[in-house]
Amino acid sequence: MTTLIYGLVTGFLFGFLLQKARVIRYEKQLGALRLQDMTIIKFMGSSILVGMVGVYLFYDLGMAELSIKDMITGPVIIGGILFGLGWGLLGYCPGTSAGALGEGRVDAFWGILGMITGAALFAEAYPWLMRTVYTWGDFGKVTVPQMLGINHWLVIPVVIVLVVLIFRWFEKKGL
Amino acid sequence: MKPNGAWNPYVAGGLAGLLGVLSVLLVGQFFGASTSFVRTAGMIEQVFGPERVAEMDYFIRVVPQIDWQWMFVFGILLGSLVSSLTSGTFRWQTVPDMWARSFGHTPVKRGVVAFCGGVVAMFGARLADG
Repeated sequence: MTTLIYGLVTGFLFGFLLQKARVIRYEKQLGALRLQDMTIIKFMGSSILVGMVGVYLFYDLGMAELSIKDMITGPVIIGGILFGLGWGLLGYCPGTSAGALGEGRVDAFWGILGMITGAALFAEAYPWLMRTVYTWGDFGKVTVPQMLGINHWLVIPVVIVLVVLIFRWFEKKGL
Repeated sequence: MKPNGAWNPYVAGGLAGLLGVLSVLLVGQFFGASTSFVRTAGMIEQVFGPERVAEMDYFIRVVPQIDWQWMFVFGILLGSLVSSLTSGTFRWQTVPDMWARSFGHTPVKRGVVAFCGGVVAMFGARLADG
């Protein structure tokens, strides 16, 4: 029960921030996909930088666990392409669709119904996908530092510099 | 702050990152959304055929029930609702302005494309385990 309340409160604060930064709007989502308005990339990039440093810091202190996903090439590439296609049509991603509905964007409701349907279809296809797509290029649970065979604190500053350079470029181009 | 009241995306994003770190530290939960759509689909299917759902591999792996992430997604809706109502930016809208400029003001057309987009996006998100 406590975990559920934590979920609700965390989601509430996150939804509040998303709405304040205007990143849940169709115009902002499509603006990024059309390379016209990088607001959501600025939000995501900043969030990733803070999250990356914080999570690895507490991981090294033994106070947090990492949640590493499987790196299976086939489903990641095909899934990524399908997600991008659907995202472009819908104009909201799974989390932001809830936020968009919260600020009165009714079209997000149809997207949510579509996403529940898509999840149901995926559950039907899952046994077949496990025998096929999920066997294509399985590298297991790996991180970039692990693949490079170096300490994560050597990778983290490089990522920070790259993201900050991208941010500076956005600002220079007025994106 | 910009003139329209929007928060700086770098600041808001950084705060969201901080919130994410606190969540991992205090509750051991990473932010996510798409698994909740699987759980919702499973819960709906359970109404019509609980035996069938109980035997499906994917619903054995992702159990159809309300969990931390489901409440997180519901919380996003509430947070956005409160933020928009208190700042006067809440607006009932069936067709986004950018969509209307290219494809017209028909809510049905927008609804059908949004639904289809949702189906494809979620199938892809689940496939890539996003």
